[in-house]
Amino acid sequence: MSDSAIELSGVGKKYRFFSLDNIHLKLPEGQIMGLIGPNGAGKSTTIRILMGLVHQDTGHVRVLGFRMPAEQVAAKWDIGFVSEDMRLYESMTLGWHMNFIQSIYPNWDPAYAQLLLKRFGVRAEQKIKGLSHGQRVKAMLLLVLARKPKLLVLDEPTTGLDPVARHEILRELTNVMADDGRSVLFSSHNTQDVEQISDQITFIDRGRIIDSMDKEMYLDRWRRLRLEAPLGIELPALPGIVDVRQEGRLAIATANAFVPDLANAYERAGVRVQRIESMTLEEIFVANVEHSREEVGA
Amino acid sequence: MRGSVVRGLILKDWRLQRAQIICSLCGGAFALALVQWGGETPIVVGGVWFFVALILVGHTLPLLGIINERKKQHLAFLMSLPVSYIQYTTAKLVANVVLFLIPWLTLVSAAVMLIEIRGVVPPGAIPVVLILALLPFVGFSLITGAVLVGETEGWGLAANVFCSSTYGLVWYFLTRIPGLMAHATGPSPVWNSTALIILAGECALITLLLGLTYFLQSRKRDFV
Repeated sequence: MSDSAIELSGVGKKYRFFSLDNIHLKLPEGQIMGLIGPNGAGKSTTIRILMGLVHQDTGHVRVLGFRMPAEQVAAKWDIGFVSEDMRLYESMTLGWHMNFIQSIYPNWDPAYAQLLLKRFGVRAEQKIKGLSHGQRVKAMLLLVLARKPKLLVLDEPTTGLDPVARHEILRELTNVMADDGRSVLFSSHNTQDVEQISDQITFIDRGRIIDSMDKEMYLDRWRRLRLEAPLGIELPALPGIVDVRQEGRLAIATANAFVPDLANAYERAGVRVQRIESMTLEEIFVANVEHSREEVGA
Repeated sequence: MRGSVVRGLILKDWRLQRAQIICSLCGGAFALALVQWGGETPIVVGGVWFFVALILVGHTLPLLGIINERKKQHLAFLMSLPVSYIQYTTAKLVANVVLFLIPWLTLVSAAVMLIEIRGVVPPGAIPVVLILALLPFVGFSLITGAVLVGETEGWGLAANVFCSSTYGLVWYFLTRIPGLMAHATGPSPVWNSTALIILAGECALITLLLGLTYFLQSRKRDFV
């Protein structure tokens, strides 16, 4: 049995106007991974492949130790999947959906379901068509969480939610993670949401994984250096610097593998390092995507 | 103990579609009652409404139960359950055929019994009634296949229009077959080779359409 909840290796899928290329992704059990990418980057396609809903053209996919898509039925007993483009039956009540899911899943926990109803502020007798967008997302999360899956796959669940609803959902996800065995893959283009709950971050753009590592490692390694280069001194090209923007004597260098020696190297070249700044995940994401696009374009 | 997901999906369709089934049963029952009134106009109007009830349920079941599920994005929710696409197809085919058969069998059996018992329509018409009643079943199978395999409302509507415009033509040609109509006004049903061949042909077409649907679905690779 594998100790990875999700393992994609060399996965590819070609469409007419989009292709997913050579995707390698590994989510260890008990971890939360944020999958961040701009719209159309391939997040949903990747998730559909790992759910067995779309067959990959190349590569191998294992989820909870099961080969996908061949063993998707066995795997999906322990996967809770919520997607932004997923809808419940509008003419039926939330209670009807709860009964439907309970009739299928032996792990359904009625007490926990009742607790979630209270926490999320939704009522079982409410028809889905009478719920707001935020309440519908909460209803779907309730249906998934109350069956206690080992793996949660959430495809942009917070898209379109107001800040309060987003906060409630993220808080519940954090609570769910108190169960150490549970793994979560959380896709979003909202880096703030991902930053709050993820252990690992994967950036995807134009069908390629451009970076994947521990969240803390990202925050440690990425730095912005504000530099001042006296007239006649050229900024040296240093390893680990992925972007330099210069206006007159002032420059901003972005490092994706920052070590204190980098600042020393600038100083040795006659460039004054004014300030070294930490970067937010959003800034890291944007810099990463731009750097990756420049590399591909070069 | 893990529940049967296919059974759960079939029961789910029953709960979602039962109002429609009950409506079609009421409509068909009203049409049959009208026929029992006797006289040319009630028989013609009641007969037409009877077939319209069968056609309506046969056409709307796949459109509401299959296309709506995709159009209204319920399919992603269903496919997140522990079910493969071929199991989903099995559940859809079984649920739709059973849901269609409930009003179809009830109404057609009632029509045959009323013809036998009340005699408002001559019993010799029973083979013709059965042959005509199987046409909406063929239409239902074609539309079900079109919406499941084609996956779009466009395919469903195209199949719907094709069937709706074909019924009249097929009825016209069927009623021009001498071996079939010669005994239609007789005192008892005559199951001659013409009637049996047409009935067998309709049943074979239904089986072929549903089988082909299942086969084509089993070859698909992408589902949502």
